[in-house]
Amino acid sequence: MRAPGVEADLGVPLLDVRGIKVHLRVADRLVRAVDGVDFRVDTAEFVGVVGESGSGKSTLVRAISRLMPHVRVDELSGHLRFEGRDILGLSDRELRALRRSRGFSMIFQDPLGHLNPTHRVGRQVAEALSPDSSGQPERARVLRLLDEVGFADPGRVARRFPHELSGGMRQRVMIAIALASDPKLLFADEPTTALDATVQLQVLQTLYRLHKERNMAVVIITHDLGVVAELCDRVYVMQTGKVVESASTLDLFERPQHPYSARLVELSSHRLDFRGGEQ
Amino acid sequence: MSEPILSLRGVSQIYSSRNASGWGWTTIRAVDDVDLDIREGETLAVVGESGSGKSTLAKLLLMLNDPTHGEVAYRGASLAKLGRAKRNEYRRQVQAVFQDPASSLNPRMTVEQTLGYVIRRHGIAAPSDQRAFIVRQLASVGLTPPEQYLSRYPHQLSGGQQQRIAIARAMMLEPKIIIADEPLSSLDVSIQAQVLQLMQDLRRRTNVGFVVISHDLGAMQSIADRTAVMYRGRIVEIGQDIYSRPVHPYTQLLLDARLMLDPRGGRIRAMAAVQAAPSKQSVTGTGCRFRDRCPYAVEICDATDPALRKIDDGSTLAACHRTEELAAGSIPAKKSRASTAIT
Repeated sequence: MRAPGVEADLGVPLLDVRGIKVHLRVADRLVRAVDGVDFRVDTAEFVGVVGESGSGKSTLVRAISRLMPHVRVDELSGHLRFEGRDILGLSDRELRALRRSRGFSMIFQDPLGHLNPTHRVGRQVAEALSPDSSGQPERARVLRLLDEVGFADPGRVARRFPHELSGGMRQRVMIAIALASDPKLLFADEPTTALDATVQLQVLQTLYRLHKERNMAVVIITHDLGVVAELCDRVYVMQTGKVVESASTLDLFERPQHPYSARLVELSSHRLDFRGGEQ
Repeated sequence: MSEPILSLRGVSQIYSSRNASGWGWTTIRAVDDVDLDIREGETLAVVGESGSGKSTLAKLLLMLNDPTHGEVAYRGASLAKLGRAKRNEYRRQVQAVFQDPASSLNPRMTVEQTLGYVIRRHGIAAPSDQRAFIVRQLASVGLTPPEQYLSRYPHQLSGGQQQRIAIARAMMLEPKIIIADEPLSSLDVSIQAQVLQLMQDLRRRTNVGFVVISHDLGAMQSIADRTAVMYRGRIVEIGQDIYSRPVHPYTQLLLDARLMLDPRGGRIRAMAAVQAAPSKQSVTGTGCRFRDRCPYAVEICDATDPALRKIDDGSTLAACHRTEELAAGSIPAKKSRASTAIT
């Protein structure tokens, strides 16, 4: 089932990126990590970004969400609009407001590295809550979020520290934190790469359910075309800082245009071609 | 079938750690009473989720750990009792390749120094021939032109090139068997395919065997002669065609958890298959250790731990009480007793 593409015609896309460049300075060398990329996400769309390590997919998403603290950015330019509003020129304060309420959030590959080891889960979710308008108590909102990401006993999880949870549970906590600001767009950077296959499937199912229930757009970065085939409406294929193909998921698998995407599809299906026998 | 080059008999590895409270100890049976024969020249894949004991098994085979119980034998001789000469032979003939090539290579040594060290340590080439020998080795793992790599440091190589150096280092001793612990998981898909291809080439050229530890069933199916499925320290199924004809419900679960590459039939979109969550506590007491996740568990599964036994047509061994009934298709899956919710 495809999400209907009608939103695209209703004027402004949720996220509209044109000609974005991110040039970094690494050990005095100029690295064109992202080199003139056009990228669009419509409301409630599930979009994949695939490519090998070093292709610039993470940098692209971090540049869009304006999360680039650790590198020296030489040039960050282009046209970058969220709901029609230019976010490249936003001040830190305006950016924080956008992240805090009805804007965008992000989850990462390694939840342990992005959770505070000294605070209980409940407190970390509470910190990320958007400013409240409904008058609900904070605790109830935290528990509802934990329930929403699939915990059977939210009260118990809220009292745990991150190290007491399994990898899949930590990723769910990350998702709960990301959802606390009620985002319209969620960036997920390789969210299941570090997880076992059985747990990966559960987390992806949760992500997909939330996408549907909340009408939330998701951009998922992955190197696994299986993730794309299972989840995405559209895909961007990146190679050396450029988008080499942008297609619907079906087209990518059945009619890949660029030789690089064709090779990715071929390699993945070659490795999994044994599926035929057992169905 | 050729004789086993490595064999495990009743091997257990028990790790213990102090409880969080500081009182008492918790013991974990990382590998629990495992029997396994590895034949010369075969490629054995070991698959399972994290925490199933795959890597501990690799460490036992490499003699990096001494088993708590049981015996690891090399050509019939217990590793614990090997004499000096025999131990040296073992060290040459059983080599290792690890998951993260960057950390298994010395960052301060060039490729030539890294490989040259092994040559001197084992005396496999005269000093005057050393460079030519290394060049041949590099060429054999597909690094061409080889001269260009001699003076490089690990950080100047890509992940795939680093893994090739690690394989070259293992191969130059002409081992009988290479124990590879997740050799693919840090590599990109296209590089994985190249490394798998390289492993196949090496097997054909030199008859080296591999024990490959992996969680990637897809990659393993393309190279493995036999596959062992581990669950909580035990081998629950081992055989040649576990992918097309899985016997154990856990093997089926792992196969079901793979993502489909069919954009028309994505299961997540349909929200059909829901997996039971791995519970964190290990199942205590007697009984099958998979029973809390098993959709087919009955009383006997609570009472007795199933032993690994031959399944009718011979080549597959599985540890499940109900394989015959399952094969006959006579029992429907009931809802898994571990609910799908995460607690």
